[in-house]
Amino acid sequence: MIGTFDYVRVGSIKEGCELLAARNGGAVALAGGTDLLVSIRNTGRSPDLLVDFKDVAQLNRLVTDNDAGAMIGACVPLNVIADNTVINDRFTALAAAARSVGSYQVRNRATLGGNIANASPAADTAPALLVLGASVNVTGKDGTRKIPIDKLFTGVKKTSLRAGEVITDISLPPVGSRARSAFLKKQRVKGHDLAIINMAVSYDPDAEALRVAIGSCAVTPILLPPVNLSENEPIDELAERLNDIAQAAISPIDDIRASAVYRLGLVPVLLSDLLSVLLAPEGGAR
Amino acid sequence: MKLHEITLAVNGTRETLSVPAGMTLLELLREKLYLTGPKEGCGAGECGSCTVLLDGRPVTSCLVLAVETDGREVRTIEGEATDGQLSALQQAFIDAGAIQCGFCTPGMVMSARALLERNPHPSDDEIKEAIAGNLCRCTGYESIIAAVRLAAEGREK
Amino acid sequence: MSATKYVGQSVPREDAIPKVTGTAMFVHDMSLPGMLHAATVKSPHAAARIVSIAVEAARALRGVRAVLTGDDLDYRLGLYVQDKSILARERVRYQGEPVVAIAADTLEIARAACDLVEVEYEVQDPVLDPREAMEPGAPLVHPDLHTYSYMKGVFSPKPHTNIAHQQKIRKGNVEAGLAASEVVVQEHFYNPPAPHVPLETHAVIAHALPGEHMEIYTSAQSPYTVRNLLCHSFDLPHANVRVHVPYVGGGFGGKAGIQLEPLAYCLSKAAGGKPVKIVATREEEFGTLPSRQGLHTDIILGVTKDGKISALKVKYVWDAGAYADYGVNVGRAGAYAGAGPYNVPNCHIDSFVVYTNKVFGTAYRGFGHLEVMWGVERAMEIAACKLKMDPYEFRMLNVLRAGDRTITGETITPGHGRPDKCLEAVAQALDWGKKTTLSDPNKVRGKGIAALHKAPAMPTYTSCSAIIKLNEDGSADILISGVDMGQGTYTALRQIAADELKLQIERVHMTWECDTAFSPYDWQTVASRFTFMGGNAVIDASRDALRQIKQVAGMALRAAPEHIVCEDGAAYVDNHPDQRVPYEKFALGYTFENGNSVGGPIIGRGRYIAQGLTNLDLETGQGLPAQFWTYGAQGTEVEVDTRTGEIEIVDMITALDAGKVLNPVLAREQVIGGVVQGLGSTLFEGLRFDDEGHLLNGSFTDHKIPTAKDIPRHTQQIFIETPQPDGPYGARGIAEHPMISVPSAVANALYDALGIDFNTLPLTSERIYRAIHEERNDS
Repeated sequence: MIGTFDYVRVGSIKEGCELLAARNGGAVALAGGTDLLVSIRNTGRSPDLLVDFKDVAQLNRLVTDNDAGAMIGACVPLNVIADNTVINDRFTALAAAARSVGSYQVRNRATLGGNIANASPAADTAPALLVLGASVNVTGKDGTRKIPIDKLFTGVKKTSLRAGEVITDISLPPVGSRARSAFLKKQRVKGHDLAIINMAVSYDPDAEALRVAIGSCAVTPILLPPVNLSENEPIDELAERLNDIAQAAISPIDDIRASAVYRLGLVPVLLSDLLSVLLAPEGGAR
Repeated sequence: MKLHEITLAVNGTRETLSVPAGMTLLELLREKLYLTGPKEGCGAGECGSCTVLLDGRPVTSCLVLAVETDGREVRTIEGEATDGQLSALQQAFIDAGAIQCGFCTPGMVMSARALLERNPHPSDDEIKEAIAGNLCRCTGYESIIAAVRLAAEGREK
Repeated sequence: MSATKYVGQSVPREDAIPKVTGTAMFVHDMSLPGMLHAATVKSPHAAARIVSIAVEAARALRGVRAVLTGDDLDYRLGLYVQDKSILARERVRYQGEPVVAIAADTLEIARAACDLVEVEYEVQDPVLDPREAMEPGAPLVHPDLHTYSYMKGVFSPKPHTNIAHQQKIRKGNVEAGLAASEVVVQEHFYNPPAPHVPLETHAVIAHALPGEHMEIYTSAQSPYTVRNLLCHSFDLPHANVRVHVPYVGGGFGGKAGIQLEPLAYCLSKAAGGKPVKIVATREEEFGTLPSRQGLHTDIILGVTKDGKISALKVKYVWDAGAYADYGVNVGRAGAYAGAGPYNVPNCHIDSFVVYTNKVFGTAYRGFGHLEVMWGVERAMEIAACKLKMDPYEFRMLNVLRAGDRTITGETITPGHGRPDKCLEAVAQALDWGKKTTLSDPNKVRGKGIAALHKAPAMPTYTSCSAIIKLNEDGSADILISGVDMGQGTYTALRQIAADELKLQIERVHMTWECDTAFSPYDWQTVASRFTFMGGNAVIDASRDALRQIKQVAGMALRAAPEHIVCEDGAAYVDNHPDQRVPYEKFALGYTFENGNSVGGPIIGRGRYIAQGLTNLDLETGQGLPAQFWTYGAQGTEVEVDTRTGEIEIVDMITALDAGKVLNPVLAREQVIGGVVQGLGSTLFEGLRFDDEGHLLNGSFTDHKIPTAKDIPRHTQQIFIETPQPDGPYGARGIAEHPMISVPSAVANALYDALGIDFNTLPLTSERIYRAIHEERNDS
């Protein structure tokens, strides 16, 4: 027995939200359970009720559209995202990030909604969603609202979700036809490990837009402020400029996986590798 | 404690049971159905010894609640051999020398089984990715990778 | 003598079918009627006095059947030094030490009851660094050490200190040797404590029976040692204790002695004789059950102008943790093997095993040799480098050869095996001397090589026995009580028996559950000695059975036994191979046509005892500790990303002088597995503690072991076969050896790649990154 909780499987968001509201904090939303159940096991602290939203059809949708972007239900397993052709082609950073979470077995259970609701500073999908400008659709007893992803994370395992609110979908705005994104992660072992640092970069040559997000280097994943791209700036100079911005924006700590010093040292390497992937097709300089 | 009645198919057999919400699928299999092939190596989804197939997809059954499997289909190592005949995959594990202490073997075979069903001709990197969530302390993995490759090659013939 | 039919062939394991079908039964899978489940309350402090324990609320919980504290259990246990209580008494000595144990109807109730226990502690300053623990005035982990009993003549706990054992090795005159040296290397090396991480955690079921009897089902490596220690602990006759060992999910030394068995028995007794099961959680496996000891090594190595080792002075300080367990013997073995497979004319080693307030140490695959070879092989590399000699040539110049004398005074003979051939084979396979250059400016390659040796660390009187019984159908069952926990020994023994009994291998079976009531005595399944000693015992038992076979066949065929030839499970008179009598005709006795019967059930008995070993002199360490030495060498090519410190093992080559490879596939498997386990120790494994002695990485989330994606790009296994004169078919043990010099080979390759010396394990990407950056900042 992993805990003393009771369990309800709900058929609609409304039903689930009403239950969460009625139990007044004693009930917790269950998606894949790969973080929640481990936390219950490790702490021995069991909620009264787990409300399983996985049967709700809306939460299992993965809709992609070249014009409209993508809409990913909160309960879509990470492997489904990692294997989706459109996500791989258009939202490459998210596919790569989804693929780097846990193990294959875990990714069959772990969901995108759960990965961000858990709000680990090291959540792999977070930097990808940040550079892709995702927004998070949430529903609570007071109705629905949209939270821009960069306003979701407020601290270690803390989000701006209100009590009783659940994530229903994550929407990704459409990306330009030449836009690209990529994700990289450094970890202790190559299989099944949390990130020492993870990073995503998106780049749209037509919009002159470049976004960088870094995980596991502060209390929340960090989206760097936008940079102005100057004409014909060599990649290494751009990487250096971004590194200066990043070093000022992040505040990593020493933990069991790595020291702050090492994390800071990996930032320019990841930046350089990601920029090379994204910008090099254009000849090394923009 | 409140019990939930669930009905699921385990290795093709329909089972109806009453389970508490806090019971994991692994506990259901081992303690209620006496299918002790799946093992608990950590209880936290880290080692893969408890891997079974849920609707054809490998999962760590220590992190699945039994109540979540109502109406679903579960396959364990006990369903891998048919009529007392080892599957080609099981035989490949033996032929490639991929078994030592045997504690990780049931989970490892199930991960490999799912891989071969979704990708009959995996590359070595794809095999490694598929079994990276199954820890083995004895073999150093090389012979396990060889076993999966052998099973995939055998399929071509 | 005709060539063997099975020995030397890759016969598949008999245990593969139950394991691949999930039907192999481990203790984890077993239950008995009425069985209770147990959990423990563990110390949150590394060092504290227990002020009070309140268990009333726990006892009152419905479903709780037994609650025990240290004061209920007036026993002192220990393999070599009796320093451990079953539950902590008066004080706790490491975080994670069990203080209260509860057996209940379900595991959930037992855990809930544990949460109701209140323990008041008076926290004390822990002593965590074994070097500080040796200083006068250091807090004592065992203030009563002087009152403990211990194995005299072998170990030497020092009263009123934290020193559990000091092993001395003295050969020649080390100061004179150093004075005569051209180059002197003086370095400090460190290995952290490291966990075994078998996939099956420790599990036991104990059943206390009327009349002070007990039945134990345990995931242990050594059924008879479990029985013997239980009998000594509880002062019971050996006949009262029966130990069953079914399939074991990996041991690696962590299951060599006894751990949870006494507690399970006491709980069962306290619960009125209901069987009690204890299964360690993964976190308990990391933080409560023992690990490999940490080691600080201070080496002074002197080498002459022409590259010959002239002197070696070493101080080994082992971090025993809270209890001595196997640790004192690791310190002893590390000392007598502490010069590596080299000819060292002047040697002075002090090996101290020191108590600290950390989880205690025990045997771990390699038994101190990975730790010792880390220092020795790094020092050899540094010496060669200072001399501007090729490190391979330097090793070839100094490696032990026939006629040399070891540091304990043993003369090397041609039957000892050939470390030089192992080094040569590795160098050749590695294309030694040829540097790989890469086009990627951020990547560099390096090659490294290291030698190794290890002998079984075992008492002088270590023995083993085997029984072979013939069945009605002429097949044979082999009973032995060494455990096959995956290493494959049973398959090798089966091959030996089939050849010796002249019986088809399909008709020879190992008995897979060891049971002290039926399986004949074996000391322990440790030390890479089971194939050697078990092999010799099985040969002896087979020949005993074959003698009986020939005797009864002779009567059946009316010929003298010496004229009987056996082949494929049948006997015939030497000049009449066409008139065969199959074994089933006389396995239980032969019956003539008129009904007269002769012979009787055939049972072969065999035994083997260590030959010629002596205790080591306590002052000089001189003596014969080794039944045999297995020599080897390992070499690697690594690729380093100089920006991140990440390394990739491009190639990993291992050569071992196995004497005789009994089963090539199994031997290869064993080596690859050991190499990857060694890579774990090299690259990221090791327990870490905070300043108060709290374990920081006691879970799979925080402590990683290699996954399928972390293995070398290429590995190669080479076996040299210099027959061991007293080995079964010339074989030596090779189980532990593949781990031993992986760390030193990788660090030597890193030096080749980067010009940086690494003296501390593990070689995490961060450690390498920092070293590269410090180097750059220095220059």
